[in-house]
Amino acid sequence: MSDTLTLPRRPRRLPPRLRRNPMAALALGLLLAIALAAIFAPLLTSFDPYETALRQRLQGPGNGHLLGTDSQGRDMLTRLLYGARTTLMIGCAGTAFGALLGGSIGLCAAFYRKLDGVLMRLVDVLLSFPSILFGLSLAAILGPGLDSLILAVGLSVMPGIARISRGAALSVMTQDYIESGRAIGLPDHRLLTRYLLANAYPPILTYTTLAFGDAILLAATLGFLGLGLQPPTAELGGIAAEGRAFLFIAPHVSTAASLLIFAIVLSFNLLGDALRDAGDRRAQ
Amino acid sequence: MMVRLLRRAAVSLVVLTGVLLIGFLMLQVIPADPAVAIAGPQGTEAEIEAIRRHLGLDQPLIVQFLYYLQRVLSGDMGHSVINNASVSAELLRAIGPTVELMCAAMLWAVPTALALGILAALRRGGIIDRMVMTLAVMGVSIPVFWVGLLMIQFAVRTRAFPIQGRGGPLWTLDGLSHIALPATALGLILIGPIARMTRTTLSDALHADHVRTARAKGASETRVVLNHALRTAILPVITLIGLQIGSLMGGAVVTETIFSWPGVGRLAVGAIIAGDYPMAQGAIIFLASAFIIVNVAVDLLNELADPRLGART
Repeated sequence: MSDTLTLPRRPRRLPPRLRRNPMAALALGLLLAIALAAIFAPLLTSFDPYETALRQRLQGPGNGHLLGTDSQGRDMLTRLLYGARTTLMIGCAGTAFGALLGGSIGLCAAFYRKLDGVLMRLVDVLLSFPSILFGLSLAAILGPGLDSLILAVGLSVMPGIARISRGAALSVMTQDYIESGRAIGLPDHRLLTRYLLANAYPPILTYTTLAFGDAILLAATLGFLGLGLQPPTAELGGIAAEGRAFLFIAPHVSTAASLLIFAIVLSFNLLGDALRDAGDRRAQ
Repeated sequence: MMVRLLRRAAVSLVVLTGVLLIGFLMLQVIPADPAVAIAGPQGTEAEIEAIRRHLGLDQPLIVQFLYYLQRVLSGDMGHSVINNASVSAELLRAIGPTVELMCAAMLWAVPTALALGILAALRRGGIIDRMVMTLAVMGVSIPVFWVGLLMIQFAVRTRAFPIQGRGGPLWTLDGLSHIALPATALGLILIGPIARMTRTTLSDALHADHVRTARAKGASETRVVLNHALRTAILPVITLIGLQIGSLMGGAVVTETIFSWPGVGRLAVGAIIAGDYPMAQGAIIFLASAFIIVNVAVDLLNELADPRLGART
């Protein structure tokens, strides 16, 4: 009986599973490296991402600049590091917002059964909704920029997280301790946070991590379309778009930025597949 | 089944109203006076006053929203603030190219993905299977704009295809060569998910009882795969293709922008960047409504195609 009362505080440890999947381990390593490089960007490069040097514009790799320079003569490696910083930050903020919103919707749908039908039908419609449309609408209402970008990313990851949260919360709702909590007269908000969320969060957390790849892809795509942060802000999608004008003289500018986005998203997806496979095996 | 469909239609109607409300909001938050915006740069004071009264801008917001609904439903979406062009007319001109591009992308991508999925399912764990799975995960991870940029670089080096705009009708060589690159780039989005789903459902179906029976009866392997296994495996794939219309539409926005394809997506992006609120509003509510309506249609087709779905409710 005692083990049903202890609340599982931590999600299951994953590294042993990842060790069996070299691709996923590689992906995780790459992601960590990119994240660290982005966080410590100022320590890794002596160049300024915004200082222009027009005489050194559009240089190829080498010659004092490891990855060459862009159309304003700025060091490409520095731009990429700071760009990754911005893009990852937008991904984090957007996903966090989406997780908060989606998690609340999912938990409420499981807790207040009367709301379930309405909430989940809306979520279902939004689930396959083209996420770019969120970006377009918000950019049209708020103007292109950081806030519209973060909101768009949040809205696009929200439906998936809402579904997962509801599923996780529904299985927790069948537990005796929820009934006990009700019986001793705990208020709803306490039941929702201390009982429901505290026990349902591991799968929500896993899914949220995986939604990150899609979030980054959306943020970069909106940035590329010019609906995100405006130049000269270093942002990966924006850098790829800047390079588009010089595609034939200096293809390295857009290629490097696109490749970095691709590497980040691919790593998240590989990691996600590995986690899903691990989950399947556990289910069997 | 009827109840389910009706309920689904009701939800879609609610969402559609939500979409229109967002379109309405887009016009509300314009920093400038909407009447001034609609009258255009040449609008006189009297014209602006007339438009204000015509739009009912002195009325409460909810009444204004109803007016807005009435106007949109009668096909009047206002005029561009840039060149005073009718939004509905511009949209009508852009719908054709967008539908054309999406159809062309599906036309090559769906059969290719099905073939890849079938090959992968037949030789599970083999080289083709591994290649398909690798391609699938790469396909969903690669930014569509990068695929477009790579294709443009390739096309310019080889001088094989035009990289911008739409050519003549599709049955002419000019039309085909213009759509080739954007349709290829857009179709790539579909390959991964469809191939993957086909592989999963087909390899499950290959172990099903009715397939074993067919084998026992001595049917040829081709017949077993195509007539017996694929028949049951294809239903979830069709559902998935329906669900992919959202990402196809999102991809179309990007592809149209890169290849200067004169569709609704490019219209929307251009309008937002130029600050042309009425045009942006029109293009966005068009895309969103089209998506919702197509989704209901796909649902309906699913219900009709799968007798089990009908029996359940």
